[in-house]
Amino acid sequence: MKKSVILFFIFIAILVILPFLVSGYWLRVLTQTFMFAAIATGSNIIIGFTGYPAFGNIAFFGIGAYVTGVLMTKYNFSFLLTLPLCALSGFLIATLLGLPLLRLKGHYFAIATIGVMEAIKEIVDNMTEITGGGMGLTLPIMEGEPAYIYKFFYYAILLIMLLTIAVAFLIFRSKFGYALRAIRIDEDAASVMGINTSLFKTISWAISGALVGIAGGAYAYWLTYIDPSTVFETSYSVKMFAMILLGGGTTVLGPMIGAFILELVSEFVWSKFIEIHGMILGMLIILIVIFIPKGLFETFKGGFSFRKIIINLRENKL
Amino acid sequence: MIILQVLLNGILLGGFYALIGVGFSLVWGVTNIINLAHGAIALLGAYITLFLFQYYGVDPFLSLPFSFIPLFIFGYILQRYLLNLVVKAQIFMLLILTFGIEIFLVNFMTTFFSADFRSVTPDYAGESLIIGDIVIPYIRLAVFAICILITLLLSLFLNKTWTGKAIKATSLDIDAAMMVGINPAKIFAITFAIASGLAGVAGSLFSLTQAFSPSMAGSLTLRAFIVSILGGLGRVEGALLGGIILGIVETLSSYIIGESYKNAITLAIMVLVLVIKPTGILGKKYFAEVKH
Repeated sequence: MKKSVILFFIFIAILVILPFLVSGYWLRVLTQTFMFAAIATGSNIIIGFTGYPAFGNIAFFGIGAYVTGVLMTKYNFSFLLTLPLCALSGFLIATLLGLPLLRLKGHYFAIATIGVMEAIKEIVDNMTEITGGGMGLTLPIMEGEPAYIYKFFYYAILLIMLLTIAVAFLIFRSKFGYALRAIRIDEDAASVMGINTSLFKTISWAISGALVGIAGGAYAYWLTYIDPSTVFETSYSVKMFAMILLGGGTTVLGPMIGAFILELVSEFVWSKFIEIHGMILGMLIILIVIFIPKGLFETFKGGFSFRKIIINLRENKL
Repeated sequence: MIILQVLLNGILLGGFYALIGVGFSLVWGVTNIINLAHGAIALLGAYITLFLFQYYGVDPFLSLPFSFIPLFIFGYILQRYLLNLVVKAQIFMLLILTFGIEIFLVNFMTTFFSADFRSVTPDYAGESLIIGDIVIPYIRLAVFAICILITLLLSLFLNKTWTGKAIKATSLDIDAAMMVGINPAKIFAITFAIASGLAGVAGSLFSLTQAFSPSMAGSLTLRAFIVSILGGLGRVEGALLGGIILGIVETLSSYIIGESYKNAITLAIMVLVLVIKPTGILGKKYFAEVKH
C-alpha cells in the first residue's frame, strides 16, 4: 500500500508541473481525463464499494452541469459559488431517489437508474424557460487569455479529481466503508450484524451523487455550452463503467487508473480513426469484460501473465 | 369518438411493442441476460428491409424472412461464442458487455448507413380503412396482425416442440436440464438467436410505420424492457399484455399531456412498476408456474 501511495504522489506532482510543458491540446485531453476520473471514482462509492450498479449515475453529472449553468446565467452566481450547490443538489436528489430505488437489486436497480436518468433528461428538456430546453444554455465565457483559461480548468478539475479521491479514500478506510463492503458481500448478514443497510446505502449513493455533481458543474463552465443530450450522455455512463471495470471497483485508485488508460487510448483511437471511433470503443469494452472482468489490479496482482487471462475466461464460461 | 381512435392507435402500437419485447423477455428469463443491444439488433432488421426495398424493390412484408434468418444466425453466434464466455460473471458485467455490443452496432450503422432518418414507403403506404370517424392505416393493421401471429407462434413453439420445452426446462433448473441431456450452451444460443431473429422482424415492421435512425436503438431497447417488466419475464402472453398496456399508456399520455413528455411518462411508469412490483403485473417468476 505504501509503495502505491508514493507512486500516486509522484504521479500527482508530474500532473501539477505538466501544464508548463505540454500544448493546449494535451491540456484539454488531460482535463477531460481528470473529469472522467472524478466521475468514475465518485460513482465507484456506490458501484464498487457498495455493490449497487448505478448505471445512470451520469444523471448527477447532468444535474450539476445544469445547476451551474442556470445559476450563472439567470442569477449571476460566480462559478466557485455554484459548485457547493451542485454537490448539494446531487446529494439531495440521490437521497430522495435512494429511498425507493435502493430496495431494488442487480439488474433492476441498474435499469431503474437509467430510467431515472432519461426521465430527468426529459424534464430538463421540457423546462424550456429555465434550462433553454433543447436549444441548450450558453454560459458566460471566462475572462482572460486562452492559455490562462486552459490552465484554470486544468487545475480546477484536477483539484476536483483529488477531492473525489480523498473522499473515496476516507470512506474506504472508515467504519462506514467497512459497512459498505459488508453490504456488498452479503446484505442480509450485514443487516443482522446491526448495520442499518438502507441508511448506509442511501448515504453512499448521496455522497456519490454529490461528487459527480461537482464534476458536472465544472464541465458546464469549461464547455460554456450545455444541452440535455451532451450532459445526460449515456455513453458517458458506459465509459465510466468500463473505467471502473478496467481499474477494479474494489480499490480507491482503480477507477482513476481505468480512466487514464481508457481516456488516453480512446483519444488516440479518436485522432487516428475518426470514422470508426465508436465501433472501436464498443470493441474495447467487449474485450475488457471478456478478458479482465475483475479489473487490471485484481487480475494482474503480482505480475502480468496470459495464464491469468485464461483462468478468468474459464471461470465465467457456461 | 377521438378517444376511441387514440385507444385503437395504442393497441395497434402495442402489438409491435409485444413483438419487440417478447424476445428480450425470453432471453432475460432463460439466460438472465438483459440484452441492451436488442434495439440495435432490431434496427439492423429495419436496414435490411430498407436495403432490399430500395435496391431490389422487394415488398417490405416479403423481406421479413430476410431479416429473420441473418439475425437469427448473428444472435446464435453472438451468444455461443461471446456471451456464453461471461455468462457466469457478475450481472453488471453482462450489462456492460451488451452495452458494448450496442455501441458497436449503433456506430456500425451510423458509419455505413449514416445518421439520417430513413423510411420505407411502398405504394400502398397512404391507404387506410375508414369506419365512421375512425381511421386505421392498412399497414398498421397488418403490422399488428403479424406481430400477434408471430408472438402466438412463439408460444406454440415453446409449448409444443422439443427445443421449446428444452428452453423452458433450462430456465427452470439448469442442472436438472443438463442431467436429462440438454446442452445449456446450445439452448442459450438458440434462445438468443430466436430473440434476435424476432427483433429483426420487429425492426422490419418498424421501418414501415415510421422513420428511423441508428439513434433510436436505445429507446427500442427501453420499450422492450418495459414490456418485460410489465408482463413478467419470458412469458409470451405477458409480453402481449405488457405491449398493449405500454402502447395504450403512451398514446393516451401523449394525447392528454403532450408528445414532449411521452418518454418521461413511460419511464416514470417503468420505475413505478419496478419499485412496486419488480416481478411484473402478471407477477410470477419465469415459467415457475409451469412446473406445478
